[in-house]
Amino acid sequence: MSSLHPHAKVFIVDDDAGVRDALAWLLRTRRLLSESYRSADEFWDEVQGWRQEPDLPCCVLLDVRMPGTSGLALFEQLLALPWQAAMPVIFLSGHADVPTAVDAVKRGAFDFCEKPFSDNALVDRIEQALAHSTQVLALRQQRQRVQTKLDQLTERERDVMNRVAAGLPNKLVADALHISVRTVEVHRARVFDKLEVKSAVELANLLRGVA
Amino acid sequence: MPRTSALKRAWRYPRRWWMVGFLLLVLLAGLLGVLVFLAREYEWTREQDGLSRDVEALANDMRSELTRNNQTLLLLNSADPDRTVWVQRAERLLQGHRELVRLEWRNTDMGLIATSNSPFLSNVFQTLPREQALPDIRRACDAATRISGPSFSSNYFWPVAGGRGLELMEMCLPIAQSGMPKGFLVATYSLPAMMAEWADSTVLSGRGLAFTEGDGTRLSLHSTVPGGRDLIQASASLDLPGHTLQLQLQSPRRALGLFPNVLTAVVGTLSLALMVVLMFLARDMRRRWRAERELADALAFRKAMENSLITGLRARDMQGRLTYVNPAFCDMVGLSAAQLLGTGLPAPYWPAELLDVYQQRQAVRLAGQALPREGFESMFLRRDGTHFPVLIIEAPLIDAQGTQTGWMSAVLDLSEQRRVEELNRAQQERLQATARLAMMGEMASLLSHELNQPLAAISSYANGSLNVLADPQREPDLLPSAMRQILAQAERAARVIKSVSDFVRRREQVREAVAPADLLASIQPLVALQAGKSGIRVVIDVQVGVPHVLCDRTMVEQVLLNLARNGMQAMPTGDPPARGGWRVLTLSVKSVQPDPSTSARRWVEFEVTDHGLGLSEEAQAQLFTPFFTTKAEGMGLGLSLCRTVIEQHAGELTHAPAQPRGTVFRFRLPAAPTL
Repeated sequence: MSSLHPHAKVFIVDDDAGVRDALAWLLRTRRLLSESYRSADEFWDEVQGWRQEPDLPCCVLLDVRMPGTSGLALFEQLLALPWQAAMPVIFLSGHADVPTAVDAVKRGAFDFCEKPFSDNALVDRIEQALAHSTQVLALRQQRQRVQTKLDQLTERERDVMNRVAAGLPNKLVADALHISVRTVEVHRARVFDKLEVKSAVELANLLRGVA
Repeated sequence: MPRTSALKRAWRYPRRWWMVGFLLLVLLAGLLGVLVFLAREYEWTREQDGLSRDVEALANDMRSELTRNNQTLLLLNSADPDRTVWVQRAERLLQGHRELVRLEWRNTDMGLIATSNSPFLSNVFQTLPREQALPDIRRACDAATRISGPSFSSNYFWPVAGGRGLELMEMCLPIAQSGMPKGFLVATYSLPAMMAEWADSTVLSGRGLAFTEGDGTRLSLHSTVPGGRDLIQASASLDLPGHTLQLQLQSPRRALGLFPNVLTAVVGTLSLALMVVLMFLARDMRRRWRAERELADALAFRKAMENSLITGLRARDMQGRLTYVNPAFCDMVGLSAAQLLGTGLPAPYWPAELLDVYQQRQAVRLAGQALPREGFESMFLRRDGTHFPVLIIEAPLIDAQGTQTGWMSAVLDLSEQRRVEELNRAQQERLQATARLAMMGEMASLLSHELNQPLAAISSYANGSLNVLADPQREPDLLPSAMRQILAQAERAARVIKSVSDFVRRREQVREAVAPADLLASIQPLVALQAGKSGIRVVIDVQVGVPHVLCDRTMVEQVLLNLARNGMQAMPTGDPPARGGWRVLTLSVKSVQPDPSTSARRWVEFEVTDHGLGLSEEAQAQLFTPFFTTKAEGMGLGLSLCRTVIEQHAGELTHAPAQPRGTVFRFRLPAAPTL
């Protein structure tokens, strides 16, 4: 998967050092960066410490059963974050925890793997998760850019833009807003300029990406 | 209110009896009254008859006296006497006959020839002249002439001095001489004197005699009845030629007592006696009736009591025949009282396979030995063939004379109790099994987690190593560290497994010397419970002098119990059938003689034998495989566990077909060294 960002990162949260180390080592052989955490609390402290949402693709390998805060409890905390979708969670479960893990997947976890796992299959799944993360991040960044441009529009320009994007001709826009067609044209040119689009179709596409 | 109704009932019956008694009394009194009345009537009639007879006799007497007088009077004029002679004769005659007042001799023309007066009545004819009577005399004499014999005039009253008078009567007798009428003899009779002279004074005592007219008017009284209250009278006519006189006899009605005669008195007394007897009888009857009533009440009470019991009651005589059963007992065994009563031994509710035991018990009972007061448990057969356990409490039945006539038993059906016990036990077992399973699951989960961790790590390192090997340019120095990690994780897994086997091995340490009989004795109640339910006889056969065995007591008991239960489950109700006598589970223990060639160790051999269907080949092959079972609800761990336990004791669990059918399971345990 060469398309992955070279600095994509896998966070491993497991209380068992042997498993932690083995997974990290395995990921290293597949040229994936990883960071290990001994407990849910340790990882949560790390997440809390981040200034802003991650801008690099990442995912979490989370053991279901751990002393202290369980993997499931941590997952609940993560779900509360607005950008959680950018950091998919893969659960690692023992035989007895399968129903719990399945339930977690239904609530939004990316996947679960039953121990002992088929390692390369797990790594494949991790890469898929990272790819997913990449997509989500890209979408979020795109949206942010459009939002920044939209913020520059005035009230009137936004009214005109919404109607133009809906496919209304200038005449009808002017009637609806009780302004002259001439004024509409001026606003329209300014909106195109600010949003760096050349046609009404392009505008509609841009706005659809944000919605 | 039962009390008042009982009272009412108590009264209704005697009242009817009182009515009957009263009627009887009335009848008796009526009878007595009628009897007295009739007897009185009879007495009176008899008295009347007597009186009539007496007056007739008087009349006859008078008639014959008058006739005799005629003869005498005829003699006066015999031989043609002169007057003097006649008078002499007449005077003489008058002296002898007071009834005659006067004699006259008259000629055919009624002319007086001679006369003579009675000396007893001198002056009769002084107050009135004699001529006053002449018409009467003449009539009489005319009649006498006509009939040529004596004839009487009608009577007439003749007053005498002192205002008194006499009733007189004339009799005219014609006198003939040599066929020629020569005159008449006239005799004047005094009626009172006739009665005085001729009436028998004994007949007349206390009676009144009188001559009366035809209409009953008294003419001449001889005597009167003193007092004269209630009189009876009788008349007789005195027929005389020319005249008829009525003679009347009066008598006071004889005062009759309460009982007119002896017969009535006897009958009356007897009736009174009968009444008294009747009264006594009625009183006795009432008392008896009350007693009966009370007895009936007591009987009904007892009956209700018996019917309300759920305890079966049965009585048997000395030969063991049923003499009484209550409804609860009938319900229990499913036979009607009619079917049960009179049946002897063996009783119809004895299960066939237990006949021997019951006969023995009966023999003990007949030998007069006391049976335990707290009762004994037994097994009865229902009509539908099912068995049910019962508790029998027996007491001797002693009659009023103090001799024992049989036994009374209370029979309690224990099947419900047993069922509940069984249910509880099964519930308990299931609970324990569930708990054990849950614990096992928990342990398995823990174990798998513990093993999963190193396995996951090993797998990761191995996969990673393969990755490295597939791409040799990349960090080949990573491999040795991976190998070391694999080793470390493998060792970790080994440690987990060792700890588990250590845990299992810890149990093996308990060993104690136990008598085989004790082992069997401690499982016996549990086995007996299930055996009783399926009608299986349990035979325990411990060889005499068998040594103690060295074992983990609890575990070996569990093994024995498991084998016994398997054996009993191999013999469900009906297979083998109860009649064949093969519904037997045998638990036997014997010591095995040590084989001197191999070892000096002594063994004790246990055998559990059933007579069920036996084991199929497939079952034999998989007998000890864990989780293999032929039972619907079995776990398939029983025999496998048994084998493990026995092997831990250095023994061996084997099985073989039993004779004539069934299976025998056999295992050996080491004998404890003799001290």
